[in-house]
Amino acid sequence: MMMTTARLRQIGWGALLTLCFAAFAVLSLSVHAVRNEAVLAEKQIVALKKKRQLLETEFQARASQHQLARWNRVDLGFVAPRADQYLEGRNELIALGVPLGPDAPAPVRFARADANETAEFARRKMVSPVSGRPIALASLNANEDGAGTLLVEAFGDYLIKASPIRPAKAQTASALSTDGTE
Amino acid sequence: MNSGARAFGSQQANLFDAVPELLGAASRADRTSARPSFPFLRQAGKASGAFSRPVPVPESLPAMRARLLNTARQRVLFLALVFAALALVAMVQIFWLGADGAGSSNRSSINPLIPPRGEITDRNGIPLAVTYPAYSLYFYPQAMDGTGENPLVRQPADLVRELKAIFPDMDEASIAAKLASGKGGYLRKRILPEEANAVWALGEVALQSPQVLDRHYPQGRLAAHVVGGVADDGETQTGTFGMEAALDQWLSDPDTRGTPAALSIDARVQGALEDEMNRGMKLAKADGAAGVVLDVDTGEVIAMASFPDFNPNRVSQDDAKNTGNRVTYLRGELGSVFKPLTVAAGLDAGVITNLTRQWDASPVEVGGKSFEDFEDKGDALTIPEALAYSSNTVTMRVGAKLGAERLHRLWLDLGMDRPVDIEIKGTSTPLFPKAPWSPMTTQVAAFGHGFNVTPLHLANAYAAMVNGGIFRPATLHKVEPGASVPGTRVFKPSTSQKMRQLLRLVVKHGTGRNANAAATGFRVGGKTGSAEKLINGRYSTTRIIATFAAAFPMDRPRYVVVVALDEPKRTHAMAGRTAYFNAAPIVGNLIRRAGPMLGVRPDNVRDVDVSEFEYLLKDKS
Repeated sequence: MMMTTARLRQIGWGALLTLCFAAFAVLSLSVHAVRNEAVLAEKQIVALKKKRQLLETEFQARASQHQLARWNRVDLGFVAPRADQYLEGRNELIALGVPLGPDAPAPVRFARADANETAEFARRKMVSPVSGRPIALASLNANEDGAGTLLVEAFGDYLIKASPIRPAKAQTASALSTDGTE
Repeated sequence: MNSGARAFGSQQANLFDAVPELLGAASRADRTSARPSFPFLRQAGKASGAFSRPVPVPESLPAMRARLLNTARQRVLFLALVFAALALVAMVQIFWLGADGAGSSNRSSINPLIPPRGEITDRNGIPLAVTYPAYSLYFYPQAMDGTGENPLVRQPADLVRELKAIFPDMDEASIAAKLASGKGGYLRKRILPEEANAVWALGEVALQSPQVLDRHYPQGRLAAHVVGGVADDGETQTGTFGMEAALDQWLSDPDTRGTPAALSIDARVQGALEDEMNRGMKLAKADGAAGVVLDVDTGEVIAMASFPDFNPNRVSQDDAKNTGNRVTYLRGELGSVFKPLTVAAGLDAGVITNLTRQWDASPVEVGGKSFEDFEDKGDALTIPEALAYSSNTVTMRVGAKLGAERLHRLWLDLGMDRPVDIEIKGTSTPLFPKAPWSPMTTQVAAFGHGFNVTPLHLANAYAAMVNGGIFRPATLHKVEPGASVPGTRVFKPSTSQKMRQLLRLVVKHGTGRNANAAATGFRVGGKTGSAEKLINGRYSTTRIIATFAAAFPMDRPRYVVVVALDEPKRTHAMAGRTAYFNAAPIVGNLIRRAGPMLGVRPDNVRDVDVSEFEYLLKDKS
């Protein structure tokens, strides 16, 4: 019994030592693995930074000061701010909110779309620009028969995407049925 | 160990019988025993001394206890040593990782991001020159079969047609010849990434897109004369002119090239200056133009443009002759723009004490020649009138009263006798008459003739005149906020204050009115100058240099703007060829655009008080 205990103890110590060695080896390996991952990540970062630099350079070249000036002349038409567009202190800021006097010029009003007109536009039927006849989208004919419904359910989204006509609110049959619209 | 184990085994039966006693003895021995003995050594000694077969001697309990304890201690010691060794190895490895880990990260992540040649940026960090790996189109015939005999899948003619679709500007004949020759070489030095993809999509193995290092100027022609250019021998890039040459050491040193070199240039202001000058030059059909915007307090060049310009990304044969920077090398008699400097010297020296005093404005006879005003405004003029109407005669008389020595000293203090002090090379040496000056030289120099300087000389002098009197050399390096280039005092602060008033008067009511109209609210002050060019020793009557030197805002001058047009013409767009018609509106338009960018707010209420002189000009303008 005593012998067994001593042996066990020996084996135990040996096993513990082996375990420590194994743990140490595993730790070393995992440390190296992490380090390699870090190096790999660094390489990816470097590659991405270089790509970013390339893209940034391209953006800068395409949006150079000369190009911006050309666009501004042709399309944008921005001009430098005038002196009367600045506010001098609090008094001028407060004066912005003062009600208009009797002889004051009418304030500038911005053009806007009438809400009723927009609704009217939405109710209009879509017509073909070539023939002038109303267009019926595949998705809108979905409720006619079972085969059509099946087809539309299966390929409705694809048909809408593939169609050269892009309505603003193109929907599939399923979406239409839940909406309750025609 | 073995003998110990044997002894241990032989006493097994006794030991089990005596376990309770053993435990008690052990506990006693713990209290009493001093140090353990080594029983196997003792037994060996006995055996060797007796020369007889060892007789098993029943071991006493204390001896057994000591032996076992000893064995246990040995094992503990052994394990402790093993663990210590492990710990040591771990420590060494941690230390090695710590020491080498930093080094490896240096190698792996920082070096590849340090460009082979440093970046040049404007004062706000906008890149003006970068080096990066770009794609090129290379023909490698051996790629297909190793021999180069059948390098292409398609017929060369078909391939050329498809390449032409990708590169519309490609010369079909030369490319076809290169493909047919069977020799490798670059078909195009620089292609865009999407073009490289398109070539890749052709599926020709022999057409490759290797990456080569490229010095690229993303802003194109912007500030091309300032940034300069490099010579590329395939491996290294060396600056040849402009700031590329001036900063060559910084840009190529591995320790410094990771940090971009910031110039004093502001790309937005530079863009506005080039845009306005280009347009003004075309309207006036001028041969060339030079313009500079200078910070009067720090000496920084905010913008510097020269026309005709060139594209640094593709310097053609025609462009190569335009690489000279006219701001630093266009040498000419800039004329009337020097009159305010003479007046400032007169105020400084006490020659002009009362600005409302009348000066004789009749023609001046000196050196056998007669000089008169461009436009007759009467026989007598005050100093404000003389500046507003650009009177030659009054300025000559101020110069005469000032004397040759003092005027000469002023021009020396303002650096008119030497090349302008700036980082870029290619500055021309002024043609400056040697002392002692004759009365003729003195009086002609008083209104800006008789010596040839560059527009940058003039800008430096104007900065000194309006900034409180400190002359500073211009710099193209960005100066940290609060710092400035060291300078020397040339004018008294009171003189500078008075000159601000007079220059504002000239723009408000004199020859610079067009600048005022274009830049309302920016309190511009300045002076025009239209000087005939000296051609073969004679002043040309048709070829002039039109200059406008201005500063803004005059209540607290922060920037000086000088624009010079080389040989402007009278056109439908420009009713005249003097600076009043061409250079002044360019400066006005520029200030209107660049002022807000530079933090100068236009203000219709605030202005320099010139009311004390305005009444003088009312009757004559």
